[in-house]
Formats: sequence, C-alpha cells, structure tokens
Amino acid sequence: MPLLLLLAVLTVTVLSVPVLDRLLGRATGWPLAAVLALLTAAVLARGPDLWDGGPALEASLPWMPALGIGMSLRMDGLAWLFCVLVLGVGALVTAYSARYFPPGRRTGFYVLMSAFALAMTGLVLADDIVLLFVFWELTTICSFYLIGLSGPSASRPAVRTFLLTALGGLALLAAVVLLWVRTGTTRLSTILGDLSWTQDTGFTTAVAVLVIVAVFTKSAQFPFHYWLPDAMAASTPVSAYLHAAAMVKAGVYLAMRFSPAFADTAVWGTTLIVTGLATALLGAALALRSHDLKKLTAYSTVSQLGFLIAVIGVGTTQALIAAAVHTLAHALFKATLFMAVGVVDHQTGTRDLRELGGLRRAMPVTATVSALAALSMAGVPPLLGFVSKENLFEALLHTPGPAWLGPLAAVAAVLAAALTVAYAFRFVYGTFGGARVRHPGPDRPREAGALFLAAPAVAALAGLALGPAAPLLNPMAERAAADATGEQAQAHLALWHGVNPALAMSAAALLLGALVAWGATVRDPASSRLRLPVTGTGVFERVHAGLIALGARTGDPTRSDAPARHLAVPFVLIIVFAAAVAVLGPDYGTPADGTSRPLDWMMVALVAVSVLTAVVTRSRLAALALTGVAGFAVALWFLFLGAVDVALTQLLVEILTVVVAVLVLRRLPARFHRARPSRTAATALIAVAAGTAAGLGAYLLTGRREPSAVSTHLLENAPADTGGTNVVNTILVDYRALDTLGELTVLGVAGLIIIAVLHSSGLTANGGPQPEVARTNPVRDADANTVIMRTVARVLIPLLLIWSAYLLLRGHNAPGGGFIGGLVGGSAFALAYLVAPSASVARIRLAYPAFIAAGVVTAVASGLLGLADGSFLRPLHADIPLPWGGHYHFTSALVFDVGVYLAVVGVILTALNQLGLPRTGAAPERTAVPERHDTATGGTR
Amino acid sequence: MTLAITIGVLIAGAVYLVLQRGMVRIVLGFVLLSHGVNLLLMSAGGVSRREAPLLAGGGGEALADPLPQAFVLTAIVIAFSITIYMLTLAATGKGDDTEDAS
Repeated sequence: MPLLLLLAVLTVTVLSVPVLDRLLGRATGWPLAAVLALLTAAVLARGPDLWDGGPALEASLPWMPALGIGMSLRMDGLAWLFCVLVLGVGALVTAYSARYFPPGRRTGFYVLMSAFALAMTGLVLADDIVLLFVFWELTTICSFYLIGLSGPSASRPAVRTFLLTALGGLALLAAVVLLWVRTGTTRLSTILGDLSWTQDTGFTTAVAVLVIVAVFTKSAQFPFHYWLPDAMAASTPVSAYLHAAAMVKAGVYLAMRFSPAFADTAVWGTTLIVTGLATALLGAALALRSHDLKKLTAYSTVSQLGFLIAVIGVGTTQALIAAAVHTLAHALFKATLFMAVGVVDHQTGTRDLRELGGLRRAMPVTATVSALAALSMAGVPPLLGFVSKENLFEALLHTPGPAWLGPLAAVAAVLAAALTVAYAFRFVYGTFGGARVRHPGPDRPREAGALFLAAPAVAALAGLALGPAAPLLNPMAERAAADATGEQAQAHLALWHGVNPALAMSAAALLLGALVAWGATVRDPASSRLRLPVTGTGVFERVHAGLIALGARTGDPTRSDAPARHLAVPFVLIIVFAAAVAVLGPDYGTPADGTSRPLDWMMVALVAVSVLTAVVTRSRLAALALTGVAGFAVALWFLFLGAVDVALTQLLVEILTVVVAVLVLRRLPARFHRARPSRTAATALIAVAAGTAAGLGAYLLTGRREPSAVSTHLLENAPADTGGTNVVNTILVDYRALDTLGELTVLGVAGLIIIAVLHSSGLTANGGPQPEVARTNPVRDADANTVIMRTVARVLIPLLLIWSAYLLLRGHNAPGGGFIGGLVGGSAFALAYLVAPSASVARIRLAYPAFIAAGVVTAVASGLLGLADGSFLRPLHADIPLPWGGHYHFTSALVFDVGVYLAVVGVILTALNQLGLPRTGAAPERTAVPERHDTATGGTR
Repeated sequence: MTLAITIGVLIAGAVYLVLQRGMVRIVLGFVLLSHGVNLLLMSAGGVSRREAPLLAGGGGEALADPLPQAFVLTAIVIAFSITIYMLTLAATGKGDDTEDAS
C-alpha cells in the first residue's frame, strides 16, 4: 500500500499545482520541493530494511482485469535507488526553480515537472510491463512539453526529441507485446523471475534489439545522442532534471532491469559495450569543443551515459554495482553542474565560455560548488565520482569474453575519462579561473543568494561526503545489483583499494586529461574551429523531410480531383472479383422456371436502345432525355415485376429528375466535353466488362431459390400485424420504420446540403444554350406562350395536391403512401414552377427548409408515440367509429407517413427554388443574371 | 434472363458515363447505376412470381417478394435526393468539368 500512497501523493501534488501557483507564483517550487523531499525521506527510510535482505515492497490495484493487466508496483533495491534519485533530485530542482525564474506564475512548468516526477517514479516502480510502457511514454510527453515551454525556438528541438524518444517507445511497445504473448503475463517480476523464454535465441535477440533501441533513444546513445544537447533549448531546471535523474535515467534503469534476461544474448553485451564506449568518447570530445556551458554539460551527460551503458553491457554483478554507484554519482554532479550553469547564466547574462572568466572572486560559492561537482565528474579523489569511476574501470577491465576485450574496453574508457577530465577543467577554469573577460551582462556580477545556491550546494556536498563514506553505500549497491542480476553481489566500495589496475587507470586518465586540458583550454583548441560535416539534427531533419516526402509520393496517385480516377478503381476491382468467381465456378443452383416472359424483351430493347444512345450522344439535353427514357423503361419493369408502388415512385422520380436536371443544364454548354479516343476505348472496355459481370452475376446468383422465410412471413401476417394490406407500405411504415426514418432524414439532409452548397459557392452564371427566337415569333413572349399550360395548371395543380393527399391516406391498403404522395405533391409544385411566365412569378412562397424539418419532426414524434406501447416507432392503432356507420381504422403509422410526405415535398421545393430561381441578395457580379435568365426561360415581362 | 440482360446493359452504360469527365454525365451515370442496382435487388427477390403483393384481393401463390420492393422504393427516393444534390454540384462554380486539362 505505501507504494500506491506514494503515487497518490504525487498525483495530488500535480493536481494541486495550479492552485498553489495562483497563490505563490514561482515560489510554488518550495512546497513542491518540500513534498518531494518528504517522499524522498520516506523512501530512504525503507532502505535499511531492503539492505538487510527484506522483501521488496509490492502493491497492486486491478486496472484491466480481463487482460490480466494491473497497476502492479514493486520496489526492490534497484527501483529504490532510482526512486530516491528521481524524488531527491526532483526536490533539489524544484527548490532551485523557485529562485531561478523571474517572479510570476509558472503553472505549466510546475505542473509538468511534478508530472514528470510522477511518471518517472511510476516507471521505476512499475511491475507490469504495460504500466511500465505507459509511464515510459508519459515521460516522453512531459519532456516534449517541458522543452517546448521555452518558446518558439524550442519547438523544433521539442519535436525532434519527441519523435526520437517516441520511436524508442514504439520499440519498447513491440518488446512488451512480444514478451506478453510469449510468457502469457505482464508481470515484470514474473517475466524476469523465470527466464525460460530466453532459451529461444531468435526471440530473445529480437526482444533485446527492441529494448536496445528503446534504451539508446531514451539515454541518448550514438547515433541518437544528438537529441540531448538539442533539448537544452529547455530552461535550465528542466535540463538539470532531464539529465540528472529523469528521462535519460529511464533508459539506464530499463537496461539494468533487463540485463539478466539478455546476459547470454551476444547482441546485447556487444552492442551496449561498443556503443556505450563510442558514445562516451564522442560525447566527451564534443563537450570539449563546446563553448556554451550548457551544451558542454549536455554532451558530458551523453558521455557519462555512454559509460553507464557500456558497463551495464558487461553484465557482471560487479559491473552493475559500478553502474548503480555511477548513476548516483552522476545524478549528484550533473544536477549540480546544470544548476551552477543556471546560476552563472542568471547572474552574468551569458553562458558562453568565450565571454566568461575570472568569476572566482565575484562568485566564490558558485565556483566552489561547480569545482566540487567537476572534480567528482573528473574522478578526482576523494569525491564519489572517483569511487564510481574506479569501479567502472574495474568492471570494464574484467569484461567477460575474449581476453583482449577487457583491456581494449579499459583503454577506451581511460581515453574517454581523460577527455572528461579535460572538459571538467575547461568548465571550471573557463568560467571562474583566468582573467576577467568582458561579458554582456551586468558589469560587476554578484554572487547569487543563499536560497538560489542551496540546491546545487546540497548536491555537491553530498558528492563530497559520499566519497570517503563510500563503504556506507555497499549494502545499497549490493542490493540494487542483486535485484538487477538475480545473483548475490559483494560490493567493495572504498576510496583506497591499494595499488591496483583501476588506480593506475584513474591516474592515467587524470594525467592524460591534464595534458589535454592544457592543450585545449590554455591554448585555443583547434578542434573547436572544426566544422563537423554531419550533425545529428541535420540527419534527423533530412530523414524527417524524406519520410514526409515519401508519404506524399505514396499518396499522390489518389491526390486527384478527377472523380474518374477514383471511381475506376472499385469498378475494376469488381470485375476482378467477378472473374475470380467465374474461374472458381461454384454451384449456382438451378434456374427457376418462368423468369422470362415474351413482353420482357420489349423493355430489354427499350433500355438497350436508350442507354446506348444516351452514352453515345454528345448533346447534354439528348443524354438527359434518353436517360429519362431508360428510367421509364425501368419503371415499366417494376410494374411487370409486380412492384406497383415502386413503379409509381420510379415514374414520379424520373419526371422530377428531368425537371431539376433541366434547371441545371441551361447553365451549362450544350455539348459534352470531348474525350481522347484512347480514354473512350479504355472506358468502354471497363464498362462492357462491368456490365457483363453484373448481368452474369444477376443471372447466376439471384432468383434461384424459393420465396424467403421473411417474404412468406410478411405476406401472411401483414394485415393482422398492421391493419394494412399493401405489404410494401406496411414494411416501410410499420416493420422497418426505423430504416425509413433514417432514409427520410438522409433525404432532408440532402435538401439542406443543396442550400448550403449554393449558399457558399453560388450557381454557375448562365452560359448554356440561349434560344434564338425571332422578334416576331409569339414564342418570344413568355406570357403568351404559357397561356395554355397555365390554364390547364390552374385546374391541375389543386387536383394533383388533392390526389397526393388521397394517395398518402390510402397507402396502407393500396398503392400510395408518403413517398408517392409526396412525389405527386412535389410534381404539383414543379408544374406551378414550369408554367410561370417568369422567375419572379414562379417563386414558391413557402419556407421549404421548414417542410423538411417538419417532416423529420413529425416522423420522430410519431415514433415517440410508439413509446407509449413500449417501443420507438411502434404504430398505435385505434378504430374510430364513423357517423354513417362502420369505423375508420386509424394507425399512427399514418402520422409517420405524413412526415415522409412533408420531407419529400420539402426537398423538391428546395431543389426548384434553389436551382430554378435567381438568388435574392446574390453577389454583385451575378445581378445581371436575372434578365438573361428570364430570356432563357422564355421571355420577359 | 431478360432482367439480367437489362441489368447488364444498365450497368455497362452507367460505368461508361460515370468514368467520363463532365459532372452531368457522371450524374446520369449514377442514375443508370441506381436503376441497375434496384433491378438487381428486385431480381434477388425472384422474377418468376410477379403478382403485386396487395392482399386486399386475397393472397396467392404468385405474389412477389415485398421486401426487395420496400428496399427499392426507399432506394429510389434516396437516389433521387443524391441525384439532385449532384446536379447542384454540377451547377456551381465555373462549369461541370471535373478535370483540369484534357
């Protein structure tokens, strides 16, 4: 339970930061530091128990029980060490932040820093690999925002850091999934407790490589080392935390945690040692040639992480003891150095070594603190860094494997350590030693306040005290290494081990380092003038841009506005499927009798002729008319097939489609576009193939069975269920009313979209065929030439409306219903529109969107009525006695049908008004349209 | 077989028109396409029984399947709304050309 409490306290802290920040501003750092320090103390208090061989603390909450994933936490010696570092350094850094920032609110920073501490604590405590992954990603997200907080110039570094570490996160996720699938559990302690899965070399190698990618990206190992210096765009407290205890240490932790699993995997040890040492050398060399103190310190972190990774790669218990101690030492001196850089920057206004120097008199405390940390980093006795580096040398010298490997690794380590000595010297001497150099900040920089210096001083003094007191760390290091490797360990941490190879290596590193320092610092280093041909960020940006370009090229074939390009794909695919089915030749069943009747051939001929001519003609009007003929033929087909309602609907829709299409065509050229013969041929080929596939499919795959059970059921029960005898209509408004509701909503939405489209784009200016009519021709006068139609319409329109109402009402028992009634009603309005002599007369003064809305609302309301009988859209029935005897069977399905009617009429009105009439308040360039428009429709008034 | 031939002809014409350049031709193609698909739905209900499923005059062995008819009826209306929407698109902007150059 205490572990859950620990995370709970951290969570509450994160949540309370906004309130604290409102009250305290930058001083929020103090209460945060207090909380973190208290938690550190609480964790420290657990230490002795662990060192005495006490059991690891465990806690668990169910999270996704069905998957066996839990909020499992476990604190053994290794987790304890990292927990102390995360919380302790967190306390120091937040305390430091309270003075580092100028007064004012720092909500984002403090929220993210405390969230970062929470994520790191969760990461090192997680005993569930899924949980571990979640916290791992949380640290990535926190670091992204913390870096990005520093303003626009930090946005690219933040993105680069994020993408790179997220890449590692994906590798970790893959490793997590592989382990989960193979072992059947997500408990980390179970997976590492039973290493039988490592018998499969191929599998283990794959997991090892994935973990290596995760570790290398997180811990900034070559070739991913550049993100860490890049991320120094973040504010200094962020860098201090990132480099000393959080983020990069997550990689170190993961590597230590998994080291027993991969102890026998060749790729693990080799890669870690080689890359680690190379990174140690590279980082140190780059640190030496940096002028920016922060960059120098950042490269130094890269180098120190290289040492850690290399020694973890060695994999012996002694190596892991060295790694544990060096992790601690590094956290202390690196936190100090970063905070010292921040102090110098804060007091002098620069952190460029070329503008700094001689500050030892003005800032003696900062100088002392920095010197202590730098000496620890350089491995000078009696500081903790000396102890840990001796252990590193010792462990590397005894690398298992070929006899030459240990000495070679040791030599590389000594070289890197020598460079470390040199840049540590450069840091301190360049800033505080030598003569005063003019710098851009205040003329007489002063020492920082005690509160500002407290945090770095504590860290530096801890590094000083723990050197001589190194034997006290023995139990801690033993337990950490034992929990990491699963083997008992004996640590012999001390300042003095007598004369041994490690001491000689330390001495050699110091001596060599002094020489390099002399050459690099006192004389201007030639190396700093060298321009590297390749930089990590440059490579990253090129790869990034290349990937995006590749993605763009991949998508290019679909990036076309031409519909034909997109539409051809499904057609061709369907043809391929059809061909595949034809080749497989399944049993199609026997064709039913009587599927063809002599009269059918008339429709076949009609459809064939009209479709063929519609396809061939280049006249728009002819194509429209011929398509209409095909539609009428199809309506006839429906009638022949016994679908009376469908035939009626088809007929009405065909009429209205032609009316609407004519409104559009008059705005367009008279003839279609020309197409290249090659395109026509290809299209024709696809068309014929698709038609053949469809025809054969229809013949072979349909109509070869007895009436379906549904069909039989409906035909037998419809009158009893619904009180209606027109089965098709009962399906629409009773059985499948919800479908119909959806469909009439689609219909309504289409009407609204037409309004929206025309509102935003406007109609095409009239460019279509203009009739040439002689001045003396009576047709020229619209009033005169519509007189007959108007006379007829005067009678016909009311009749049509009455008929449509009748069709609506009788629909339940005879052909008719809402759709057909609505279409007939719509036709009445279309007629009213067509016979009008001018557009201004034709205006139908009805709020057509209201019709659509009323239709949908009515349908839904009738559906809600059904709730009275227990279900949405269930029709209610009532027998209303009639005064002249008998009774009228009323059903709320009729109300529903009224909704359908209204929506259909609304959409037709919308199309007529929107497409047929000049828009009121149209844009100025279109004000000329109405006149020409009137001419086009037949005349002017 | 007659219905299958009709469907084949309609689909062939539809595919040809849909792959053309002008929006109006594409719209007409879609109209034909919906005809073809609607007839296919009818075909799925069987073509040999062709009596209208109106029960006022009593049932019968040869009544057509009402379910595809209901589907097709709504499909026609939906296709109608889509058609007028696409026609609206053809009538906006500069013209109904859907491709930039030849």
